This record gives sequence, structure tokens and C-alpha cells, in this order.
Amino acid sequence: MSNKIVPSIYRAVIDDVIDAIRPEFEEFGVSADLVRKLQDKWEMKILASRVADFPVEPPPPQPTYPYPALPHATHNVPAYVPPSAAQQRLKSGGIDARYALATAQYAFPPLPGPTLPAQNKNTSAPVTAAVYTLPQTDGPSVSEDDDDLEPVSVPTRIGQLSGAPVGKGELAAGEGLSKDAEQIGSDLDDDSDDSENDAEEGEEAQSEIDMVFCTYDKVARVKNKWKCVLKDGMIHAGGKDYLFQRCTGEFEW
Amino acid sequence: MATAYYEFYRGSSIGMALTDSLDELITSGAITPQLAMKVLQQFDKSLADTMVKQVKAKTTLKGHLKTYRLCDDVWTFIVKQASFKMEQNEVITTPRIKIIACKNGDAIEAGKK
Repeated sequence: MSNKIVPSIYRAVIDDVIDAIRPEFEEFGVSADLVRKLQDKWEMKILASRVADFPVEPPPPQPTYPYPALPHATHNVPAYVPPSAAQQRLKSGGIDARYALATAQYAFPPLPGPTLPAQNKNTSAPVTAAVYTLPQTDGPSVSEDDDDLEPVSVPTRIGQLSGAPVGKGELAAGEGLSKDAEQIGSDLDDDSDDSENDAEEGEEAQSEIDMVFCTYDKVARVKNKWKCVLKDGMIHAGGKDYLFQRCTGEFEW
Repeated sequence: MATAYYEFYRGSSIGMALTDSLDELITSGAITPQLAMKVLQQFDKSLADTMVKQVKAKTTLKGHLKTYRLCDDVWTFIVKQASFKMEQNEVITTPRIKIIACKNGDAIEAGKK
């Protein structure tokens, strides 16, 4: 439970910090681009650490739950498709797009993202085939974004999902899609490399010390029995983060 | 804004991610160290406030205490064979874990005494 809330807490913290430092950055005469850059670096590192599953991306592939994916789709799409032509196409697609997204996930979990704008343009095409063929047929005829987006993201997405944790791969792809087309390739490529490296290094990293950062209300000892009450803590254990508001500990020394 | 917040969260995953990102920007000359300090201070505050407001999970911890230390109102425990019991019957076990706990209270009072 406390691991599941981690992404939303981190999201809230990141947004809070970024909003608060924006005026500071301006005061120091630093461009607003750097705020964005800092945020991106920060998020990339948090994602790379894989301390929790981050669902910023279009929802993770859950073929057995197409319907729950619908609210996920509607929730994630705004974050996933930033202010650009893609967003307008999404709105025009409306419910069709969302159903297409859900069914596309059902059929082809790896490619919820790129199919979204594609689906809007070519709703008549069969969904499953559309996932692979649409990008190629529609790309050149409509807009640059799609042209660059889909062919680039398709192969790398598949590569990631076969080997790497889903959340990380998709999340990186989503953020990539939110940037310029050129950056998408590099983001996805970097993550596919990182995911392989992390899988190997993760085992070494987990030999790092598991830590708990918290405050204490009370620490007491009777003979060799220790009891403590801890508050507002962050646990890093087994490579994952957990949060608690209160923890009672009992140890024997 | 006079009160400071504990800085130990900077050692956490999210804190280290921010610190590393800031270091990269400093090295590239994009921001000054002073600005980075401000960002970290804001992070301390935001994280502490968010944890207090939004985190409601309770957990229990059992284990064998190997080492304990109290210095400057900071407890450090090293626990072996620790098991955390979370809500929804989630149990996390680790062979070894270090607990760093500061005295309860948001502000760093020691500096003011």
C-alpha cells in the first residue's frame, strides 16, 4: 500500500518544488527552460531508480482488464499528450479514441501511445492491424509529429517491453512523445539501454544498505527490548521505496 | 521561512535524484550552487509537508537490533532480519537495514539552542 502511493506523492513533491523554485530561477536570471530541464532530469532519475511503478504513461499493459484501462486512458492521456496537434486530434477522436486505446492495449500492449493519434485518423481500420500498419500509412500524409513519432517509437517500445520493466519503458516513451520528435528516439534508446544496464546493476545496487529516513516520537528500552515510535518515514528496501506516517518498532538487542 | 526542515530526506531516492540533477546543472554551469541550495531547501520543505499531509500508512517493524546510537538527538539503528508489516498484509523483509531518525518536529531545533 505504501509503495503504491509513492508515485503520487513523488509527483506532488516534484510539482510543488518546481512551482516554488520557478520564481527563484527567474530571480537568479536563469531561463525557464532550465526549470523544465531540471524537472526532466529529476524525473528520469527517479524513473531509472524504479523504486515504484510510475503510471504517468498510458496505462501498463493489462490485457485482462480492458475496462479499468478506460479511466486510466482518460486520466493519462492529458498528461501523455501535451499541448500539440496530437491533443486536438485526441479530442476529435473522443470516445472512439479511448475505446481504440483500450482495445489496442488488449491486443497489443506495447503500443498504446502511438496508436492514439493514429486511431483518430483512421478509425475504420481494424485495431490490431492498425497498430502496426497505421503509422506507416498515415504518417507521411498528415503531420510531422506522427511521422516521426510512430516509426521511431514502435520498435524501441517493443524492445523495452520484452525485456525491461513496463512502467519505466512506457513512461520514458510517454515523456519522449511529449517532447520533440527527435528527442523521442534518444529518450527511448537511452532507456532501453539503461533498463538493460539497470537489470544487471540492480543486483549490485540492492546490496546497498536499506535505509529508513524518519523522525522519532519515542524510543524506549527495557532490558534488551527496544520499542520505538517513528513518524513520517521513507523506507528504501529491496530497491523500492515505501512511505509511512507512523511505525512502531520492536527490537531485541 | 525562518524555520528549516530536516535535510536527511536528501539521502532518499527522490532526494538523491534531485541532488544529482542539480549537480549536473551546476557542473554544466547552468545554475549556481546557491540556487541549487535553495532548490534543496524547497525540496526539504515540500517533501516534509507532503509526507505529513498525504501519507497515512502505518506500519510495524520487528527485528534484531544490532547497533544503536544516539547523537545530537539523532537515533541510528542497525537492525538485522528486519520485517516491516504494512497495511493490506504487505510484508517486507530485509536482512539488514539502517534507520536514521531525527527528533520529531519539523524544524531543526538544535541549531537554535
